Amino acid sequence: MYCYLYDEFIQENKRYERELLDIENRLTDLGIAGKISRLALFRNAEEMIRDEIDRGVKTVVVLGNDDTVRKVLDVISESKIVLGLIPIGPKNELARLLGIPNGVAACDILSARRIEQIDVGTINGRKFITGVRVPEFKAELMCNNGKYRIVPTSRADLEIQNLADVSNPCDGMLRANIHSSIRRGWGPFARHQETQSVLPFQFLAIRSDKPISLFADGEEMQGTRFDIGVEAMMLKVITGKDRVFV
Amino acid sequence: MFRVKSEQSMPQQSSNETIIAQGVKVEGDFHSQGDVVIDGEVNGSIETTQALTIGQSARIHADVTAKSAVIAGEVKGNIHASERLELLATSVIQGDVETQNLSIATGARVNGKITMGEMEKTE
Repeated sequence: MYCYLYDEFIQENKRYERELLDIENRLTDLGIAGKISRLALFRNAEEMIRDEIDRGVKTVVVLGNDDTVRKVLDVISESKIVLGLIPIGPKNELARLLGIPNGVAACDILSARRIEQIDVGTINGRKFITGVRVPEFKAELMCNNGKYRIVPTSRADLEIQNLADVSNPCDGMLRANIHSSIRRGWGPFARHQETQSVLPFQFLAIRSDKPISLFADGEEMQGTRFDIGVEAMMLKVITGKDRVFV
Repeated sequence: MFRVKSEQSMPQQSSNETIIAQGVKVEGDFHSQGDVVIDGEVNGSIETTQALTIGQSARIHADVTAKSAVIAGEVKGNIHASERLELLATSVIQGDVETQNLSIATGARVNGKITMGEMEKTE
């Protein structure tokens, strides 16, 4: 039993009206039409999904973008139901990584129902799928329960990956990439060399004296302490054959 | 035909390889289950059950334990490589070395005691 969750922006924007009609027609043709739930300003997405799960829904299909998925990720991964995507509009990086094309073409991917189980990352209890980005990283990483710490000695950006072009989301690990810029030479002859450190991990903590900003699946979080972990094979998701992982 | 295409579209990294590049410093007891490549700084200790590579730009103030190791940089601390240790021409070691098979290139500097042979006998 399918439940289709329409994000607010696709209902309000007339631009997507025709595309939605085509999608609904295609879903009916494929025999996978289901109940439609619509997100709205004062509706809690998680409560809506919980109600649908209580009514026997086994697959929730999100019509929207990465922001829409983030609204329901916690409840879907905890409920062990299947997540499907029909990407509409911009900001659909997750769908690209899962090999799902935009718009009506995604209906055929849903119908094929190629389900993969992937890891889900957690940051301060909040779940994420793709990763975490910390621009201008000036904090320290505490690893292995504080047995060692990693600090950048030059200007650096931190990127923590779960599902990415070069990262496997099915290995029970996250990957921290520290992109450093090393200054070589002096004065007008100085040049910068880019280096990359790679650290596979299951749990690490970011600690900073001053509040820092980071972006988990594109959503900004601020704080001085972040605990990052991974929940192995936590999410069942429908993927296309063009997905970036095995 | 299809297999080649799928391999090309998935350039995934070796899941357990750790790289500590220049611009990064590690402090404490670093422990890994996979291959480790170090070009940055480490203070404390390094232990891996697999291969360790210490690059020319690395500055290590730590005791090192690995299955095998290739060293091109500076290490201040004892080195224990259970299978094989290779010291390249640019390497500078200040500490004791213990391994089963040792290779030292011309130009490498070792200030310390070298113990070779079966690990069980040395212990």
